Amino acid sequence: MKQGMWFKRMGSLAVLAAALAFGSAAQAEDPIVIGAAIAQSGGVAPYDEGPAGGMEIAIDEINAKGGLLGHPLKIVYADTKSDIAYGATAAQQVIDEGAKMVVVTCDYDYGSAAASVADGANLIAFSTCAGDPKFGPSGIGPNAFTMATGAPGQAVAMAEWAYNVKGWRKGYILKDTTIAFDATWADFFKRRWAELAGADALLGMDTFGGEDPQIASQITRIKALSDKPDFIVLASFPPGGVSAMRQIRAAGVETPLLGSESWDGDYWLEGVPNLSDMYFVTYGSMFGADPRPEVQAFMEKYKAKFGKPPVTSHSVTGYSVIEAWSKAVEKAGTFDTDKVRDVLQSFKDEKLLAGPTTFTEKEHINMQRDLLLIEVVGGKSGNIIQVVKAAQMPK
Amino acid sequence: MIVVQNLIDAISLGSVYALAALGIGLIFSIMRLINFAHGELIMVGGFVIYALAGNPMLVMALSAIIVVTILALGMERLAFRPLRKASPPTLLIASFAVSYFVQHVILMIFGSRPMGVDFLSVLGESFEFAGLRVPRLQCIAIVVTLALMVGLVVFFRASRIGVQMRAAAEDFTMARLLGVKADRVIAVAFALSGILASFVSLYLVAQTGTVSYKMGVNMVLIAFVASVIGGMGSLTGAALGGFIVGIVSVSLQAYLPEELRPYRDAFVFLLFIAFLLWRPQGLLVRRASERV
Repeated sequence: MKQGMWFKRMGSLAVLAAALAFGSAAQAEDPIVIGAAIAQSGGVAPYDEGPAGGMEIAIDEINAKGGLLGHPLKIVYADTKSDIAYGATAAQQVIDEGAKMVVVTCDYDYGSAAASVADGANLIAFSTCAGDPKFGPSGIGPNAFTMATGAPGQAVAMAEWAYNVKGWRKGYILKDTTIAFDATWADFFKRRWAELAGADALLGMDTFGGEDPQIASQITRIKALSDKPDFIVLASFPPGGVSAMRQIRAAGVETPLLGSESWDGDYWLEGVPNLSDMYFVTYGSMFGADPRPEVQAFMEKYKAKFGKPPVTSHSVTGYSVIEAWSKAVEKAGTFDTDKVRDVLQSFKDEKLLAGPTTFTEKEHINMQRDLLLIEVVGGKSGNIIQVVKAAQMPK
Repeated sequence: MIVVQNLIDAISLGSVYALAALGIGLIFSIMRLINFAHGELIMVGGFVIYALAGNPMLVMALSAIIVVTILALGMERLAFRPLRKASPPTLLIASFAVSYFVQHVILMIFGSRPMGVDFLSVLGESFEFAGLRVPRLQCIAIVVTLALMVGLVVFFRASRIGVQMRAAAEDFTMARLLGVKADRVIAVAFALSGILASFVSLYLVAQTGTVSYKMGVNMVLIAFVASVIGGMGSLTGAALGGFIVGIVSVSLQAYLPEELRPYRDAFVFLLFIAFLLWRPQGLLVRRASERV
């Protein structure tokens, strides 16, 4: 009887020990949740799809190497439905599911509500490619970061290339008034251009509404210029910008066109048949010729995982959000937001897929960072000109 | 010379606005419905062209016209006929519901990324004479609009159903008492508005080279404003309103100083508010009358 008791006791102890051992092992492998409060449906969804794919690739890689601080990573999604107000609900949903950091939409307007909720819950809120300088401490809070190369940095890099490499001296700007991104882009281009080429080097600036069915009077004004411009900046995006481009070319204006990351991808090219002499800056190339081998390798991985290349190279920023955050977590040795934020803010030219990345206490967006300058020739996108980087931001 | 060029630009834009306004005005004059889903008829026409890209132009164009006309008839049968006795505000809300529904169906099928379409690109090129630039497409738009307007006038004056429609527009109850079949008159009105919308689709896709699920929204707003200016219920008024909106908006774009140009639409609508204060019933309606 006594013996029996002893056995029983030993037995239950063994079970307890086993349970403890098993329990602690399970704890070590408890997945760390990354919450993606992004648009999976509605108008903004296509701009989040590629970056989300990039995030999943980065997470797969980290998990294959044994996870982060011994924990596997797991992504949970909450759809913002491309609704600005619903972003906050989506962020709360992923936080309730245990998210240790929150990834938000590739746009300041559509991502800031979700970012504010995450920031308020003292979690890192990372946007994949929101290009507005307000995305960070000034517009949202201390925990908000964006992996974008901001609109000012893109515009300055483009202006410097036009002046230094192309030797162009006379410019013209046609600005879409629909979104703030293009207003910022055009403004910084104008300021840097004035510094480089002089105040008279801009022959004019005109505006159009992206939803206008035609821009005939804007074209009439360009055609009436007594001095012909060397280039026209088209600060716009599809579909309105495509319509403008189509009409400009149809009117016989063959002047080179310059633009932002909005022109990445080839889904819109059918709208401007045989487009040539169009240049834009973006994060990389999906067409297999990126000069940076790591970006090429990423595009191959994307194709292998999803069966098709990403529609635009913005997918790179999604990968780099996970890359940056996991590097910071590793360096901090903890998931604690305050410590991770401190490490992120100490990034100086940190080598990431999206380019060398720097964050400071005040600036949570990059301006002077490598971008790929791509040309559209004969109706095909992807002719790589060179890697550019803003040398000097305007005063 | 630049004044004449601006005038050409203005008339061509105005003709398309007129076409869109006619579609809105037609339905309003018959059944007092401001059909905001008219924009979705235009949008669906665009997507028919997109889906058939690569086929002969005539196939793309005819398919767009047929599909949009059927969709217009479907809207009437499924959404607006059951609500025929409802008040104008109810009808208006219903038209918003139909509009969102169609937008989201397109969103589900094609996604929200705007897509490029190569449709009638040759028409974008312009011919020049006497220093003026006239894009072929604009010329065709003006001619087609005028032809459709003449066609409508002939239809309303010469055909039996056309006369019945005019009678219904004048006094629907009286027309029914005199034996006009309401269902038929309204169905024909929707079919006509579908045809008008599909021509706007053809123009928009040829002009912009893109389709997106929101492409009809702006157009229908402008068409609505145009038909209010012309006088709700008057078809000639709707067409005239379209031309006026086009001319005002192009003129402001051409002659506002650079700093004010980004706010062009604010000026356009300011002018219209001022106009409505002066003449709330619109240009071609003699008095604002409520019908029972």
